[in-house]
Amino acid sequence: MKKIILFLPLITILIVSSFLLIFLLQKKDPNKPPSALLNENLPEFKIINLFDQTQVLTNSDIKEKIVLINFFASWCAPCKLEHPLFFDIKKQHPNLYLFGIGHKDKVIDALKYLNRDGNPYDYVGIDNTGLIGLDFGVFGLPETFLINSSGKIVYKYLGPLTKKIIKNEIQPLIQ
Amino acid sequence: MISLVGFSGLLLSFLFSLVIIISYFFYNKKYLGQIFYYSIYLSFFAIIISFVSLIFAYVNSDFSNYNVFQNSHSSKPLIYKISGTWGNHEGSMLLWLVIMACYNFFFSFNKELDNDVKKLTIFFQTSLYLCFTLFVICTSNPFLLNSIEVYEGLGLNPILQDPSLAIHPPMLYIGYVGFSLILSLSLAGLIFNKINIKWIKTAKNWTLFCWSMLTGGIALGSYWAYYELGWGGWWFWDPVENVSLMPWIAGLALVHSLMMTQQEQLLKRWIVFLAILCFSLSIFGTFLVRSGILTSVHTFASDSSRGIFILILFLVVTGFSFILFIFKSEDSHKKLNLLFINKTSALVINNIVMLIACLTILLGTIYPIIIEVLTNKRISVGAPYFTSTALPILLPGFLLMSVAPALSWQTNKLPKFKSYFLVFFTMSILTLVIGYYTDFNIWGFIGITLGLIIITSSILSMYYNSIKFKSKNFFIYNNALIAHIGVGVMILGVTCSSIFQSEHNQTFVLKETKKIGGYSLTLDEIKISDKNNFQELLAIFTLSNSNLDQSVIKPGKRYYHVSKIITTEAGIYHDWFQDFYIVLGDEKEGEWNVKIYKNPLVSFIWFGIILMIFSGLIGIRKE
Repeated sequence: MKKIILFLPLITILIVSSFLLIFLLQKKDPNKPPSALLNENLPEFKIINLFDQTQVLTNSDIKEKIVLINFFASWCAPCKLEHPLFFDIKKQHPNLYLFGIGHKDKVIDALKYLNRDGNPYDYVGIDNTGLIGLDFGVFGLPETFLINSSGKIVYKYLGPLTKKIIKNEIQPLIQ
Repeated sequence: MISLVGFSGLLLSFLFSLVIIISYFFYNKKYLGQIFYYSIYLSFFAIIISFVSLIFAYVNSDFSNYNVFQNSHSSKPLIYKISGTWGNHEGSMLLWLVIMACYNFFFSFNKELDNDVKKLTIFFQTSLYLCFTLFVICTSNPFLLNSIEVYEGLGLNPILQDPSLAIHPPMLYIGYVGFSLILSLSLAGLIFNKINIKWIKTAKNWTLFCWSMLTGGIALGSYWAYYELGWGGWWFWDPVENVSLMPWIAGLALVHSLMMTQQEQLLKRWIVFLAILCFSLSIFGTFLVRSGILTSVHTFASDSSRGIFILILFLVVTGFSFILFIFKSEDSHKKLNLLFINKTSALVINNIVMLIACLTILLGTIYPIIIEVLTNKRISVGAPYFTSTALPILLPGFLLMSVAPALSWQTNKLPKFKSYFLVFFTMSILTLVIGYYTDFNIWGFIGITLGLIIITSSILSMYYNSIKFKSKNFFIYNNALIAHIGVGVMILGVTCSSIFQSEHNQTFVLKETKKIGGYSLTLDEIKISDKNNFQELLAIFTLSNSNLDQSVIKPGKRYYHVSKIITTEAGIYHDWFQDFYIVLGDEKEGEWNVKIYKNPLVSFIWFGIILMIFSGLIGIRKE
């Protein structure tokens, strides 16, 4: 019995280490949490236009287009950081449909934000209750999703995009 | 050029360490015995040269060195150029090696231990050193050359440009790495079966030193988070904070066991176990931080091959140590003198409590990883888990702490039991009454009562032991009690600042005055100035109380040109009894959003910690 107790620390270490090793070998990036939505169809949504409250966008409107959905908010500092990059993306890929969603934001604030920093998006929806974000599993801003022409989510990024990520991870998926 | 010198130093140090290992086996030969000690010195000097040349490269902004290019910028102030040396993964690993070699060097002058134990300790320490040197050379070489010619560097992360962060890593490492020596000592003691009075005395001194340094390092990091991150708190149960806390708790248990064994030679096996645990947790922490498995402000550019290397190192070191522990540690046939309440039982409870707390924190820290491997889902374990598990576990330990030093070894009696009970009773009633008339909170009540009990009963114990109390070496004799007072003071600070913290969100226009909890706060001026490597925006507030004493608080924001990052600098007004903590938000049409925290008794936390470090260091001199 006593001997078994002596073996306990060794056994614990082996178990813990094997978990860590598996985790390491899977090469997971803590900035890219696994998303249940990945390779799934885009969730059903209906979103009001920020600039014209009578206009509504639904899934069928963006059918057969490659869409980059970006969740942002005027109160989110990292969003400001990635904001200029969307102008570059749009310039390089004019056919890409840039779809911004103001998440948990007031209409006035979101308008002010886009007036000041410019509007790179083809369509800006407002999700002031955060319900649409809930369907997309958004839990920290900014979040970016790439949808392919058959309406499947092929890529998701949590946190502000950088030039490197756009070049290495997003552009290959667009082309 | 300077990179070449540095790398040669690193290689030389590695080679001399190999010589130490080889000459250990030929120690009885006349000349080789001399070589053993000379190579320790040479290996030490070689790594110092290597480190100094890296500092030199940083000071001179030598961007032909890739590491300098990645982490420095010519416009940085000198102090951050120097501290930038260890503000990145590669440089900090070199610092790790330097400290490891330092321990080996200074330990080689030890005169207390038997020669065979001492030499074997150096042998083990050098083997560990070799592993880590190999790690640095293979995966984290700070002397790589830049393949392109550049004239400017990329800059150090601005939030790391801070005086307290300049000394935080070295201090922390002195603690972490120091446990490697304790591990080597215990392995050597185990093999020769010589865990005797001399061994315990040596181990006690070194452990006290490392533990005190580790305390200081953690406290500095926490102090930095308090005023730099602008979140109004000083401890966030961030994974990186947790991994530093685990060896700290294990070290604390070790310090207590070592102190006690001077009277009772029974806990040898336990001590060896704790010694192995301390350094295992240190490497484990390094692994978690450096492999990039966890995200935090400390995650340097991560690399999974690096992670695998450290994991293997961890497995080899702990595996070897624990296997040796299984086969070599001897059974003590003498039974522990456990009574209902005597010193031995208090010590056992203390150790069990600390070990459980340590395991709880460990579980919380790696639980997300285990879950992700098993179910591919990501969850996060945050502060609520830790506060609701680790703190209650520590409670009985804290309670015991107030009387433990006064307990006897042989009997169940607590001398002057009545007066301790009186202290316990009055303090509880006192806090209860005060709590009743102000805002009562159960955790606040427990914390404050506990803190007060620990402080008063420690003072009482000091007073009762009149020989020690009147002695000339008052501090040396009473160091344990002083440390306990420090803990009491810290508990008061922790409780008050976290439970009775008040938070106010306000908007200010220029020259506006607002009343905040009995004080009036005025926004006098917004000042924008250009500093060496950043632009600074300062809001100048005047705080005045009812006696019209005025003081200035300057929260601000900094924009770093090189890295294009904006940092917040909280403005703090320190008082003995409370901190006014102001974080500047955004401006909207002339109105400034301002977050104001009133944190009571924060200074008690730092004061308590200083007391603990002080008494820890003083304990080294105690015979």
